[in-house]
Amino acid sequence: MAEAAVRYLRDGRLEGEHAPALSVSGSLQCCPLAARAMLHVTAALASHAASGKSQARGLVIVAFDRSPQVYLDFMRRRGLDPNTFNRCVRILDCYSDPIGWKQKIQSQQHQESSVEPCSMDKENVTIFRSVKDVDKLMCSIIDLGRGFEGEDKIYFTIAIDSISSMLKDASVSSISGLLSNLRSHDQTSSIFWLIHSDLHEPKFSRAFECLSTMVASVEPAVVDSVYEEEIPGNMSFLEKNYSNAKFYVRLKRRNGRVKHLYEELHVEGNDVKFISSSVSAEVNQNLLPKVQFNLELSEKERSDRANVVLPFEHQGKGEPIRIYDGRRSLPEAQQDPNLTASAILDEVKLPKSATSKGEIHYIRDSDDEQPDSDEDPDDDLDI
Amino acid sequence: MAAAGASGGQTIGRSSFSRVAVSTAASSSTSAGVKLGPNGAAFVSSGIPDLDRILGGGFLLGSVVMVMEDSDAPHHLLLLRSFMAQGVVHKQPLLFAGPMKEPRLFLGTLPAPVASSKEDGRQRVMGAGTSSDGRTSDEALRIAWQYKKYFGEDKTSHAEHKNNKQEFSNDFDLRKSLERHLLNSQNIECVSTQDGDTLGELQDRCSTFLSKHLRKDGGNLNAGRIAIQSLCAPQCGYFEKDWDMVSFIRSLKAMVRSSNVVAVITFPNAILSNSFCKRWHHLADTLLSIKAIPDEDKDLAKLLTGYQDMVGFLHVHKVAQTNSQVPVILEASTFSLKLRKRRSLVLERLNQAPVDGSAGPSHAASGSCSSSSQGSQLDF
Repeated sequence: MAEAAVRYLRDGRLEGEHAPALSVSGSLQCCPLAARAMLHVTAALASHAASGKSQARGLVIVAFDRSPQVYLDFMRRRGLDPNTFNRCVRILDCYSDPIGWKQKIQSQQHQESSVEPCSMDKENVTIFRSVKDVDKLMCSIIDLGRGFEGEDKIYFTIAIDSISSMLKDASVSSISGLLSNLRSHDQTSSIFWLIHSDLHEPKFSRAFECLSTMVASVEPAVVDSVYEEEIPGNMSFLEKNYSNAKFYVRLKRRNGRVKHLYEELHVEGNDVKFISSSVSAEVNQNLLPKVQFNLELSEKERSDRANVVLPFEHQGKGEPIRIYDGRRSLPEAQQDPNLTASAILDEVKLPKSATSKGEIHYIRDSDDEQPDSDEDPDDDLDI
Repeated sequence: MAAAGASGGQTIGRSSFSRVAVSTAASSSTSAGVKLGPNGAAFVSSGIPDLDRILGGGFLLGSVVMVMEDSDAPHHLLLLRSFMAQGVVHKQPLLFAGPMKEPRLFLGTLPAPVASSKEDGRQRVMGAGTSSDGRTSDEALRIAWQYKKYFGEDKTSHAEHKNNKQEFSNDFDLRKSLERHLLNSQNIECVSTQDGDTLGELQDRCSTFLSKHLRKDGGNLNAGRIAIQSLCAPQCGYFEKDWDMVSFIRSLKAMVRSSNVVAVITFPNAILSNSFCKRWHHLADTLLSIKAIPDEDKDLAKLLTGYQDMVGFLHVHKVAQTNSQVPVILEASTFSLKLRKRRSLVLERLNQAPVDGSAGPSHAASGSCSSSSQGSQLDF
């Protein structure tokens, strides 16, 4: 549940342990929804920090995928006014000019010789220009975090959006080193990041999951089982996947047990809502022993069982009860009024036509016989 | 080894062969903490008495033990800490390598041995089968539907075993940390694997450590321990050099084989590619794996007894065997990790819960006729 995840991050780290880390992992099919989920968590933590409810005094956002304006707009819509935003949120902007080309072009045009790696654009947005240097990135993040005001020890939360973009410029081991150093830094309250797991080798995605203490994965609501992707041109499919997703959280508790939580994510307008649904039973199936025999009937099996024709006379279908009188020849039978024509024709036709459906035609020996009398052998007893 | 044929001289006419008495408490020629076993094998304790019993004596000297980590649960650290703490208690030299900036800080988390008391001894004998108040006499009739829990080595003489066990392996109290003066001794070295791009430094440190512990025939068995945490962790600089890591393990295995050292390596299994996973599994002499347990899982709670106390599963894939062509075949290979009284680690076989008539038919029935997905034998 998203609320549980936010609360977990808000409570921050305990004495003597590393900071908790949340990894929000999305896939290409529900990429915008994963981004929305990330924004939701960011906004929630910012408002907690502003109101003083969290261990962290402020939030540092390392923005690779989105311009800082997006965060400002989203939080303003959520009700966070710009003053508190400036007080509690610092953004390290790695989106506008990540490798410093814009500044180089500008300085060439204006004949300036200095190229600054960091410069303050607005009050709380710092533009970072050398994303290939992970050590410098870490120093900038820590410096921004230390800049929050407050007495005693100042804790801050770090949001990294997103790791997939960082992996363009830096290696997996340097980014993992950055994350683990940030986690163990004593002023970090909590850290969370977004990663699109199918854009990388599975072992790299798993490596980042390994570093986290909680994994929230956003999965598409509807997956086509045949193609496993959206059928192009099928708009309803696409629409559904762009507005709904499954939000599945795996929380690694301190005693080593893993808590599974499940919710659904709906996008309404510009906002995102989380709706809890019943815990999916498929979540825990893989740990149970495989069943060797099945004691339950599926729907198809139940309907087939209802359609089986039982070998009793009174099927309720309205067929006439036929009595066998020994005469088998067809022309005589046609003249005989006792035997219905259809019955004889059926008898003769059956061997020739070889119908696919098996039928049972019961012909009684004589009229004295009670209907269904041979079913219960005890009926003959005269006690 | 004890001298053989001492009685042969007295009996003329009989063959001069006589059985060599292997005494498990031979402490004269070996140092503390080493147990001799059949086929010239020598064992050191893993720090967890249950694990020693499962593996047939302990960790074999000269072998490489690999533990597959689960990214969801930190239990590999429990195993590593018990292993290292046991070495420190027995004053065996220790080399520790970990993917952190300050590996020395990890030594501060090693547990202290439990102060042995009669209460613990009695609890150990009775095992997990009895209730927690430890009554030895059962007044009421109890249906022993899990009778295997009551069998085992508890049948043998308790007093003798207790003394031997305490010398060889200790129960560790995970809530207390090891005394500082034990950690300040000269023979504990630490290496950080996070800095640097290659495994060269780690390899050099291992080879200098191992050169001090070469195995010599007839010499004193001074055991040493190497503990490497998360060898292929993503924050290490050599993380993507798969072949370098494999050749490091190979050379370590070769050096360890000719020395009196046990090397325990933990690694996060999910991070390696499948082909290299298989190579690592093959290189291990003893292979264990940890698996996490989902929390508040009603289905598992119905299926297994003691689910509330379990913190994880331990699966034994391979057990090292030396100088013999007979492999070690275990009765059960999946065990549950439990913390007894929140302080000592206990491994137990999985026991299936009694079939509940009121519950749904499929789960209970299926458990009895098929093996679980971890491949354990559920017996009751």
